Amino acid sequence: MSAVLTLARRELIGLFASPIAWVVLALFALGTGLVFAVGFGPGRPATMATTFDATVWLLVFLTPAVSMRLLSEELARGTLERLVTSPVSDTQIVLGKWLASLVFLGLLLTPLLVQIGVLYASGQPDAGPLVGGLLGVALVGALYLAIGTFASAATENQIIAFLLAGALIAALTFLFFFLPESGWLPARARAAVLYANVNRQFGEFNRGVIDAGNVFYFASMTGLFLFLAVKLLESRRWR
Amino acid sequence: MLTAHSLTKRYGPTLAVDRLSLEVERGQIMGFLGPNGAGKSTTMRMLVGSLPPTAGRATLNGHDVLTDAVAARRKLGYLPENNPLYPEMRVDEFLHFCGRLHRMPRKLRAARLGVVTERCGLSALRQRTIGRLSKGNRQRVGLAAALLHAPPVLVLDEPTAGLDPHQIAAVRALIRELSGDHTVLLSSHILPEVERVSDRIVIIARGRQVAAGTPDELRRESQETDRATVYAEVQGTTQRVRTIAESLHAEAAATVEPHATDPHWQRLWLRPAAGPGVRMDLRVSLARAFADADLTVRELRRENVGLEAFFTRVTDPSRGDHAASDGAAA
Repeated sequence: MSAVLTLARRELIGLFASPIAWVVLALFALGTGLVFAVGFGPGRPATMATTFDATVWLLVFLTPAVSMRLLSEELARGTLERLVTSPVSDTQIVLGKWLASLVFLGLLLTPLLVQIGVLYASGQPDAGPLVGGLLGVALVGALYLAIGTFASAATENQIIAFLLAGALIAALTFLFFFLPESGWLPARARAAVLYANVNRQFGEFNRGVIDAGNVFYFASMTGLFLFLAVKLLESRRWR
Repeated sequence: MLTAHSLTKRYGPTLAVDRLSLEVERGQIMGFLGPNGAGKSTTMRMLVGSLPPTAGRATLNGHDVLTDAVAARRKLGYLPENNPLYPEMRVDEFLHFCGRLHRMPRKLRAARLGVVTERCGLSALRQRTIGRLSKGNRQRVGLAAALLHAPPVLVLDEPTAGLDPHQIAAVRALIRELSGDHTVLLSSHILPEVERVSDRIVIIARGRQVAAGTPDELRRESQETDRATVYAEVQGTTQRVRTIAESLHAEAAATVEPHATDPHWQRLWLRPAAGPGVRMDLRVSLARAFADADLTVRELRRENVGLEAFFTRVTDPSRGDHAASDGAAA
């Protein structure tokens, strides 16, 4: 565990040394702030549901920008050679990288806490959907970042890592969101696509329902992509 | 301490390293020499376990570097090729990170950091950002990171690359100091760098071992196998000098040309032919022959003797596969 923390700590130093981190923080605060401000006013429902929904879409573009450097940069610089000849395992390397991106995600989501504070200051919001929505947003972010970590292990080119992560996330969000609308999809495939769609899984949280099935979806998908990232990292050495 | 058992690496049809075996004993410094592209880095990466071999195996302190990787890496200090670093980190920050990866407790880390930065001449630069350091200083940071956890085995891939002569001498002295308690394998494509610090030298070319031994053994071998050209500057006509030189040793190849700035002087290169008599020192007989002919000699020396010539010869890309045992060997 300490190796994971060591790796995560170094990663955060690298992350905040790059302008990308600050740009992403600014864009997220601006984006969610706008959505919140539009829906905020006298007589409007004291809820974060619309903001949370927008967040899930916004993270599709922003998380790959954070995750693209995680392993690609180490590959490009050759510093991965240092890590893999240190007494740490590939699993620890992947977890360390992902953990660092999670810490960043925590910071990224703080504007939402400020907005929730504004809701409490101006009305009596229902706590359930707020807690559920926030948890859901965190789980969505963690999954996106696991996908990003996987994409980053695939290439030493950060732009390709960004595009690959973006494409995978877009498949789970946009594609699986709109695909079930088409008539030609067989019923079984349609059900599978509906299940795999991130937005529908998140919708339950946003209603304030924390269901074991939805949590399982995010945990297993995140675990799957982290596992694939480890395997990809291992396989790089056999080439 | 550090062994390779017929390590082989194939990249598609290209054979990068071909059945290379070596053994570095405890406390020994081994120089690993070869021209660029000979397979030095590939071999070293297989030895430290970051690149799996196509065939063969490597052990470090008795641990197989692939199947018992973490135990092996605990004993390893490694300076990878091109010394990759994190440019955004400060020197201290980076070294602390390396120490933490090796699970060094905080107090030990701080103490060792003081020792290695001092030894590597980094004491004044500990708060500097790595990306702003000169190449020489970055190389020292890489060395400090390799030494930090006092590993029993050190693998240094071109530790003096990019350094100026003073820094090279300092690194050489540092490596020399390490012998005894550390087992060191260091690579270079420049012979004098390893010749002076190594207990043993292994020379590779095109992925194969072409020579191995102590520097003295290699020197002896080189004297026995090298056909040293003799160079002379003689006063006289081109024809006369050539006749005398060729009469001396019929098999030899003589080149004679007038001196560019002194037209009365001839420059002569005489190279003994391969075969018996290759060890003959032509200087004495040449001097006598010219004296008998009453020609004045103002310079007479053997060219290309010693390890440098030997290294150049055994790694010559134009040589065939089995050229290591040259027919000229006496």
